[in-house]
Amino acid sequence: MIKFLLKRAALTLPTFVALMFVTFTMIRLVPGDPIEVRRGERGISPERLAELRHDMGLDQPIWKQFFDYVWALLHGDFGTSIVSKTPITTEFFTLFPATLELGLCAMLFAVLIGVPAGVIAAAKRGSFYDQSMMGIALVGYSMPIFWWGLILILFMSNTLHLTPVSGRVDLIKFFYKPITGFALIDSVLSGQKGAFLDVLRHLILPTIVLGTVPLGVVARMTRSSMLEVLEEDYVRTAKAKGLTKFRVIGYHALRNALIPVVTVIGLQIGSLLAGTVLTETIFSWPGVGHWLVQSIGRRDYPALQGGIMLIASMVIVVNFLIDMLYGLINPRIRHGR
Amino acid sequence: MKTRHLIATAMLMSTMLVGAAAQAKSLVYCSEGSPENFTPAMNTTGTSLDAARPVYNKLVQFTPGTTTVEPGLAEKYDISADGKVITFHLRKGVKFHSGVNGFTPTRDLTAEDVIWSFERQSKPDHPYAKVSAGAYDYFNDMGMPDLLASIAKGADDLTVVMTLKEPNAPIMANLAMDFATIQSAEYADFLMKKGTPEQFDQIPVGTGPFIFVDYQKDAVIRFKANPDYWGGKPKVDDLIYAITPDATARYAKMKANECQIMVAPNPADLAAMGKDGDIQLLQQAGLNVGYLSMNAMKAPFDKVEVRQAINMAIDKAAILKEVYQGAGQPAKNPLPPTIWSYDDSTVDYTYDPVKAKEMLTKAGVTSLDTDLWWMPVQRPYNPNAKRMAEMMQSDLEKVGIHAKLVSYEWGEYRKRLQAGEHQMGLLGWTGDNGDPDNFLFLLSCKADGTPAGQNIAKWCNKDFDAKLLEARKITDQAARSKIYAEMQAIFKKEAPWMTIAHSTVFEPVRKEVSGYKVSPLGAHEFQNVDVAE
Repeated sequence: MIKFLLKRAALTLPTFVALMFVTFTMIRLVPGDPIEVRRGERGISPERLAELRHDMGLDQPIWKQFFDYVWALLHGDFGTSIVSKTPITTEFFTLFPATLELGLCAMLFAVLIGVPAGVIAAAKRGSFYDQSMMGIALVGYSMPIFWWGLILILFMSNTLHLTPVSGRVDLIKFFYKPITGFALIDSVLSGQKGAFLDVLRHLILPTIVLGTVPLGVVARMTRSSMLEVLEEDYVRTAKAKGLTKFRVIGYHALRNALIPVVTVIGLQIGSLLAGTVLTETIFSWPGVGHWLVQSIGRRDYPALQGGIMLIASMVIVVNFLIDMLYGLINPRIRHGR
Repeated sequence: MKTRHLIATAMLMSTMLVGAAAQAKSLVYCSEGSPENFTPAMNTTGTSLDAARPVYNKLVQFTPGTTTVEPGLAEKYDISADGKVITFHLRKGVKFHSGVNGFTPTRDLTAEDVIWSFERQSKPDHPYAKVSAGAYDYFNDMGMPDLLASIAKGADDLTVVMTLKEPNAPIMANLAMDFATIQSAEYADFLMKKGTPEQFDQIPVGTGPFIFVDYQKDAVIRFKANPDYWGGKPKVDDLIYAITPDATARYAKMKANECQIMVAPNPADLAAMGKDGDIQLLQQAGLNVGYLSMNAMKAPFDKVEVRQAINMAIDKAAILKEVYQGAGQPAKNPLPPTIWSYDDSTVDYTYDPVKAKEMLTKAGVTSLDTDLWWMPVQRPYNPNAKRMAEMMQSDLEKVGIHAKLVSYEWGEYRKRLQAGEHQMGLLGWTGDNGDPDNFLFLLSCKADGTPAGQNIAKWCNKDFDAKLLEARKITDQAARSKIYAEMQAIFKKEAPWMTIAHSTVFEPVRKEVSGYKVSPLGAHEFQNVDVAE
């Protein structure tokens, strides 16, 4: 097991190095200079530009900039934002809880609706319910997030007045300083009556918007996986034993059908992060997705490098842990067979 | 019985009054983004300047909704006969905000704060000069390092003497700009001793109408009314900036009354906003100009006849209709009409492709392959540069000019224009302070006769430059106006630009809002705003 652990850890290292290199170079391939891009029609004299570039170290040879960056990273220094002059880690960890909270809610929404919908569709294969459910799932999967978000705001908030338009909490009624960064937890910690429910109301639309695509994927995956499992011998045996349909499907079949579904949920995390960029912009959600897009516009190299590195590191670490978990569950992986 | 009735009524009335007093009046402004920091001297973007403005004051300020300069922290000022020495007399008893970030001021505003605020930008050895990697762009752009000889305490603590190297008439308009904000030297000292000087630019303490309460990045900025404000307590108790990056979401929030004032509406939403009974769509002529510059250093644009012909070859009215969709007025001068000294007697070139072609032939241009650059971004003075360039290309084709459309990433675009790589290029300008100099300097040249950085037409005219310098040395506005009118005449005759349009600025506010004025300078100010319950 230790050998396997070390082997996996060794494989992770080159991924980090490649990541550092790719983030560093890709950002610099985007045309535009972080100083000039902020000057607009005011322009800047070549002398002043040279002075500012020198202050930021942008006049150094590119290889030196890269090695300085790597050296700083090895010392845990992700740099300072060119725009706000704040350390990247401070900015990132201020905003990340909002993204995580929204992502978890969206995933919960996708699983809580997608799995039962997929199971029922499989159990009633070929029925009107099955056809329509899978049709809706396909639409959900193909839904353009921006359009979907705006339609929901216009309908739910402006027409029916059921949900707030955007933000995380009613700014007039409630005021508390974030402690954890998770609005659901902070609202409870604030002790302000009604704050938690208000945060929940604010979460409804962004959760639906961000969760729609994974919901489609989860529902379709659950259905196809269930259909496969329902053909298995042990299901037939369970049925022959006279077990209720609910017990056969809910207990015997579902547990086995969920394995690929869980894998798909894991894979959805990447697309979920991509979805947060738009969802956060529409719903004024103070998360890292919107922050990264702004950083591209401003050519804030350190923010982009640091932000992408931090997100990618988390994905790598989570993948590493999942690999470990698979190794524990399945000895064939552990022993390389 | 009657007495009991009276007592009960009185009790009910008092409860209602207490209730009303207890309920704070809030104003929510849907802003566009997070500020870079809260020190205006280090910022150039409207979003950042708007975020700090409620907290601070300047020596002089713009009357809300205008470009007129009025007294601010300086209740009056005197200018010496030679125009080089300005003596500011500060208001007495101006309080800095107390209780923010653990700071309690021990004194009122004095000359020390004014000197501190300017010297941070002018002296590299100032203890705060390098804090937050300070770059003081506006101070430099407005030519302050070359202009400011010294700033010192006058006869008493409430007198500041600013000495200039040469007389400069636009200086008062410059000093009403945000970079000239006055900050607290005592607060700076307090933080320096605490070892956290960078907090100075993140947690602001000023003398302004609102006190900073809290800021959560990409979410919200909170202020509360300053009860001791020298200009009188603001009408709302709480001012909240709800950071809402998407324009459609801002409009939806306005409709749901989640915010009462919003920045930058989507042009496509303006028609609906105009019809919405809950919204007042305020508008004002923008202090801007969109133009097509012709590179006078490159043939055949070095010939005045060619530049004039291009002015006549392009159908401006069609551009106004198609690109600005009615939200703009044709520009005939380099100055917008809202600026004093605007010469309304200027006669614009009429759209006449036949005459334009004749003029071109006369100038020896029968067929020309050239380029036409368009900005890749939407700007207040030009909502759709690409469409504009396409329309111009089509018009020019009719007179035998084949223009290739060119564009680059925005920063790169501006840099290449400055380097003079273009032959014809679209750009524009939004005024900083309402002084005519702030527009006409765009066409100035250096003493050696080479174009200054902003002059992308690369057009130099000695007479024009001499008049620009002359007007700077005169403080009498009527005399300056006369010179600027002459400069506008030179400009029109020489035609280094084809002036296209001055756009209209729209600002939607809820019907409950009163006292809000649209600033021609693009500022958002709330000290006089009230919200009906």
